[in-house]
Amino acid sequence: MILTGPEITAAARDGRLTIDPFELEQVNPNSYNVRLGPTLLTYADTVIDSYRPNLTREMEIGTDGHVLQPGELYLGHTLEQVGSDSFVPLLFGRSSVGRLGLFVEITAPIGDIGFHGQWTLMLSPVRPLRVYAGMKIAQIMFFVSTGEIDPYEGKYQAATGPQPSRYWRDVAPVKAVAS
Amino acid sequence: MILTRPAIRAALQAGEITIEPYDPARLSPNAYDWRLGDTLRVCAGELDAATPTAFVEQVIPATGLVLKPEVLYLGVTLEKTGSETYAQMLNGDRTIGTLGIWVHVSAPLGHQGHAIRWTLEIRAAKPVRVYPGMTFGKLVFLTAFGTPTSYQQQLSKYADTDGIDISRLYEEIPGGVL
Repeated sequence: MILTGPEITAAARDGRLTIDPFELEQVNPNSYNVRLGPTLLTYADTVIDSYRPNLTREMEIGTDGHVLQPGELYLGHTLEQVGSDSFVPLLFGRSSVGRLGLFVEITAPIGDIGFHGQWTLMLSPVRPLRVYAGMKIAQIMFFVSTGEIDPYEGKYQAATGPQPSRYWRDVAPVKAVAS
Repeated sequence: MILTRPAIRAALQAGEITIEPYDPARLSPNAYDWRLGDTLRVCAGELDAATPTAFVEQVIPATGLVLKPEVLYLGVTLEKTGSETYAQMLNGDRTIGTLGIWVHVSAPLGHQGHAIRWTLEIRAAKPVRVYPGMTFGKLVFLTAFGTPTSYQQQLSKYADTDGIDISRLYEEIPGGVL
């Protein structure tokens, strides 16, 4: 079951979920609009290596926005800290943002029960697109779960700002070799 | 929870779900198989979240139209669908996915109270020919938890849309200033 807007508001107030900061005007009938934080990361190397930490470049979105280029992958983040110890969150881009040809997440809309933090966004535009810090970029919805709860204790817990992939932490130690 | 075919059929009969035009043959085990409308808006320029998007509108001829990668197409569902009782989620189907077509750019949710022909945000991985009225995806219905509120009661941009809508995000970012 998907939470209604009034239930999201009630749960944010009684602690069944956290959205911080919380603004009533960002509540929709079945979701909450989250905003784009100011920091973007891009991977510095031409090829991303799944098994290794990858160098990233950090940039701040200026007051006149920042143009995202097709063919580049930008890691952004939500301004809000979002999480729940009982509901399963799902994040998708807003339709207003999809209509601008911007993918806001890539293949991973479902969050974990017990994760609390700023969500990393995987931004990838179809056409060059100017975006602005603070714009309402995505929607988080919440689903009722069934079963005992065994919350998230993973590697991105309490994230602040965009987080590059840490797949490398799950890989059995590999010797550093010159490529 | 996701409605099954008999549950969707019952909700249609009870007036909790509307689908126009409705074809009972398009009900699948847990979805309604919706179709592509006949109009596209082609967005091939640079876009700005603070500015209305420039586009060229095209009718998809019966002989089809080739979608190109690197171009954003806004399309529309042939059906108008609505429900005050259930949330809706729209996606492509595996037949369309295996043609390399994204039917939306990460925005599948239809809020309770939505009664729309859905604007589609179409992108192609490879050049691909599409035809008007072709089956394009699946629409599922989700039960809701909590007191409902309707999209129709909100001051909402797209609550009563009957065709393709470009993004109206610029209304929230006057002059590029938030």
